[in-house]
Amino acid sequence: MSLLCVERLSKSYGELRAVEGVSFAVRAGELYGLLGPNGAGKTTTLSMIAGLLRPDAGTVVVDGVAFSADPQRARRIMGVVPQELALYEELSARENLEFWGRLAGLSRRDARQRAGVLLEALALHDRAREPVRTYSGGMRRRVNLGCALVHRPRLLLLDEPTVGIDPQARQNILEFIRGLQREGTAILYTTHYLEEAETLCQRVGILDHGRLLAEGTLEALQERVGGDRVYVLEGAFAGADPGDWPGFESRFRLLQHTDRQWVVAARDRGEPAECLRELLSLPVRVDNVLLKRPSLNEVFLQLTGRELRE
Amino acid sequence: MNLWLTLLTKDLRRAVRNPLPWLIHLAVPLALTALLGLAFGRGTGEGAALGRIRFAVVDEEDSPLTRLLRGALNQGEAARHLEPEFLDRTDALAQLHDNQLSAVVILPPHFTRDYLAGRGPVTLELIKNPARSIHPAVLEELLGVGVTGLNALARTLGSEFPAWRAAFEQGADYRQVADLIRSTGEKLDTLRRYLDPPRITYRRETPPAPESPAPAARPGGGHNLFGYLLAGLATMFLLFQANTGMEDLQREFARHTFARYHTLHHRLLPFLAGKGAFVGVMLLVGAGILFGGGGLLFGIAWKHPLDLAALVAGFLVFAVGLAALLAALIADARRADALGTLIAMALGMAGGCAFPPESLPAFLREHITPLLPTAWLAQGIRELEFGSEPVHGPLLALRLAAVGMVLLGLAAAGFRRRFARGLRP
Repeated sequence: MSLLCVERLSKSYGELRAVEGVSFAVRAGELYGLLGPNGAGKTTTLSMIAGLLRPDAGTVVVDGVAFSADPQRARRIMGVVPQELALYEELSARENLEFWGRLAGLSRRDARQRAGVLLEALALHDRAREPVRTYSGGMRRRVNLGCALVHRPRLLLLDEPTVGIDPQARQNILEFIRGLQREGTAILYTTHYLEEAETLCQRVGILDHGRLLAEGTLEALQERVGGDRVYVLEGAFAGADPGDWPGFESRFRLLQHTDRQWVVAARDRGEPAECLRELLSLPVRVDNVLLKRPSLNEVFLQLTGRELRE
Repeated sequence: MNLWLTLLTKDLRRAVRNPLPWLIHLAVPLALTALLGLAFGRGTGEGAALGRIRFAVVDEEDSPLTRLLRGALNQGEAARHLEPEFLDRTDALAQLHDNQLSAVVILPPHFTRDYLAGRGPVTLELIKNPARSIHPAVLEELLGVGVTGLNALARTLGSEFPAWRAAFEQGADYRQVADLIRSTGEKLDTLRRYLDPPRITYRRETPPAPESPAPAARPGGGHNLFGYLLAGLATMFLLFQANTGMEDLQREFARHTFARYHTLHHRLLPFLAGKGAFVGVMLLVGAGILFGGGGLLFGIAWKHPLDLAALVAGFLVFAVGLAALLAALIADARRADALGTLIAMALGMAGGCAFPPESLPAFLREHITPLLPTAWLAQGIRELEFGSEPVHGPLLALRLAAVGMVLLGLAAAGFRRRFARGLRP
């Protein structure tokens, strides 16, 4: 059964449709990624799920009960990690953790004990008593994450938790999140980093301009592009028009094209060697060919016509 | 209760870690009280609210009469209020410029001769120190009283003056002086029946309020100018400070800690109440400094400290409620601050905090002022401590607190609306 079920969620700000008819579900122990560029509607979606924003339409169901029917129950089940650092910088990491634990309803003793466990797990125990304002960006991010976990939420909403930190700190946080997922926590993870969605999430929803364009496992999304491989051709393609070449469009899909590079996917599961031969026989000069597994970027490219990084 | 205490503890911890803003909060009432004390003098005990007035007397004649007048300044009641220094003109003016004196009074040469001979108006010179606000004005009034007295004396005892003048200028033996004193005394004795008892007097009386027989038991008001001023100033100050304190709500909103709280709790009122309690505690300390310090500086004996404390506490609930509502309705912190200051000023002025309510325009005084919580507190304190009207402090405090709670509830609704609409700071 899904711990979180979102159905036709919509939100507009005046003329701007920030989120439009978004539906997806997250099961217990599943790490679901919402991938999209900045301004795609990820934070708005997450804010509606967390009860911070009132949706114009649609429903959020948490553990089988509509959020609106019992908002306090839903809030007890959820832990929310905002994109911004929502911490008291004058207080230490321990004090922050204990405070948010106490607010979540833990007894003083439980909050202290949980704070100790989390400080250890997040490798913050050495400086647990120092004010947060003296911490590095990565440490603050870890405290920000920890504050949402003190009350042991069954559903964790993470809004771009690794924005603005160094690769090492990011790896530490991602590893910690994997551990939570292994322990059975349902996690909704929004990001605009392709690598995070590819390596971390079991299922990914691709969001753009407020609409969920596709969702599924990485394999299922790759399947939409062209199975398990795409061909990256480098050469002189200025003025070339694939429509002029007989049979090309029935065999291949041109995912991306510039004067110097084409990204092409085969429409069927033909032999790579055969596909390569056909591509090299095209009436253009090809200097180099790269065969690779399609990434979520290619999926996004196919769905939107532009790269996620653009 | 646990939630509320947790929030309060958090803010107290934050204040301990970053005490500067709150030290400033507490320093402001200290500074305000000190400023008032410096401006209006210092004193302790009954009747010493103004402190002793230090001034110089320059006696350019140095005659028996002027020595008599100088001696009178150090006697009895005058010595309690006045601190005369007898200097020459140069030293007196130098000390005046150094702000050591409130004024200089100069008795001119030939003062005795001219006064006793009745030669034209005799002019005493008063040089006031403008840096000493009220003391020079008091001296001027006293000098006016003295001059009026000397004039009255001259008119009444004019026929005796030639003999006195001769005695002062040419010298006289004890027998002649004794005769002069006796004849002057006999003249004064004829005046006694006009002066003592006075022929006409008045009695001050305040009729008791119909619903309460209590005034008979009351010791009577005893108006205290500084207490009256302090009540109004403190009311406005508490409103300003509540506004400043509750700005932390805007900070919590901007730093997303308020949103994080909202992800854990559906109801926003406890968060606002926690913040209000914290600011209230800080303001109570400030109010203690203002009223306690003001009492010491101006010799005000607060006769109803418990009622006064209840009134201030009730007003603080109103003040934090109003500040929270402004923070909820105005997303921009700077705008909220500016508007809050304006509203506090308007409420203070219209509530009779800056001016006596009697001097307000009639419409305002009769229809608006009675509805304002600022007037409830300022007038409540004035009536309670210095007035003759009975004031039920706890009831008034409850009324203030009730208005404050309603405002806090509205603030919670305002913030909920801000969250729901996704308004960002």
